[in-house]
Amino acid sequence: MIAVLGLVVGVVAGLLVRPEIPAVVEPYLPIAVVAALDAVFGGLRAMLDGIFDDKVFVVSFLSNVVVAALIVFLGDKLGVGAQLSTGVVVVLGIRIFSNAAAIRRHVFRA
Amino acid sequence: MNNEEETPETPRGPEHRLRKELPQERPADADAPGAVEEAAGPEEPEAALTGRQRLAQGLWPPRVSRAQLIVALLLFGLGFGLAVQVASNSDSGSALRGARQEDLVRILDELDDRTQRLQDEKQGLEDQRSELENSSDRAEEARKQTAEKEKQLGILAGTVAAQGPGITMTIQDTKGTVQADMLLDAIQELRAAGAEAIQVNGVRVVASTYLSDSGKSVSVDGNKITQPYRFQVIGKPQDLEPALNIPGGVVQTLEKEQATVAVERSTKIVVDALRAAEQPDYARSSSQ
Repeated sequence: MIAVLGLVVGVVAGLLVRPEIPAVVEPYLPIAVVAALDAVFGGLRAMLDGIFDDKVFVVSFLSNVVVAALIVFLGDKLGVGAQLSTGVVVVLGIRIFSNAAAIRRHVFRA
Repeated sequence: MNNEEETPETPRGPEHRLRKELPQERPADADAPGAVEEAAGPEEPEAALTGRQRLAQGLWPPRVSRAQLIVALLLFGLGFGLAVQVASNSDSGSALRGARQEDLVRILDELDDRTQRLQDEKQGLEDQRSELENSSDRAEEARKQTAEKEKQLGILAGTVAAQGPGITMTIQDTKGTVQADMLLDAIQELRAAGAEAIQVNGVRVVASTYLSDSGKSVSVDGNKITQPYRFQVIGKPQDLEPALNIPGGVVQTLEKEQATVAVERSTKIVVDALRAAEQPDYARSSSQ
């Protein structure tokens, strides 16, 4: 419950504060957000499976974000930033879909 | 990298076994009709919690634990980032915010090109404008000069009234001895002395003016005039008066004919007798 509240508060704060994104972080934020979403869906699925562990969630969340940012950074350096970030988004999207499917089976039994 | 993938490496005792049992349970659930499933629901908690129940448990009642707080913090970060990104992306002014470097460079190049083109166009238009202004200035100037010239020529041709310094000469000829040639001499003398506009008794004297005798009086351009003959002359009075008064000149000649002549200078003579402009029938300008 508190976790959900945290998400809601985060969204509200982001909408209200509207901070200027630092230029350094700018290219990585979208990918980092998608990666974090993937981690959240994974965590939700794990919770429904009854195997949720906060330590694992924290590590997977942070590592997801860092690795996603790293890939984008590397891609930009190699000159294939656009393609690589597309690839990352595709992969993360697939994972989000499969996790969402598992969650759906749990919640709706279908 | 999410929890699920890492579970195999982290054995978790009883919960882990439950997880493995789930796949076997699920087909049974799926096969069962809805009613049976509802009936089976309550039995499950003793054996294993369903996902739905775990979700409900997780949501209510709220538990404050370290794990919950950490997850809340991370989710706060996620929500914040999400909202910020969405907000910055939907900002109408900053469509370029998410663009990549090469795109930005390309856009910048295009803008530079466009700026260049527009600058060229502006330059051309400004040139055109100044050209037009010049030509309209020139046309204005030409028009002014034409108007000026028209006035000058109008004074010469007698089509406009004129005023300026000059003299008035009045010839009293009670005996009727003054003839046209004497008046013509007077006019010639005045012209030679620099008279610019002359009228005699309301008749403008111009280049084509002719004088003829008509009985005891004189007609100018066919208009019969009677004495006293009154010349109104625009010119330099200091030149005109002596020209008439020189010994053996106009005044003496007239007085020999027993006419009285009075010449007076004036700073303002108005010559307002007009002639209609005449279009020559035969003479054409040869300057073209």
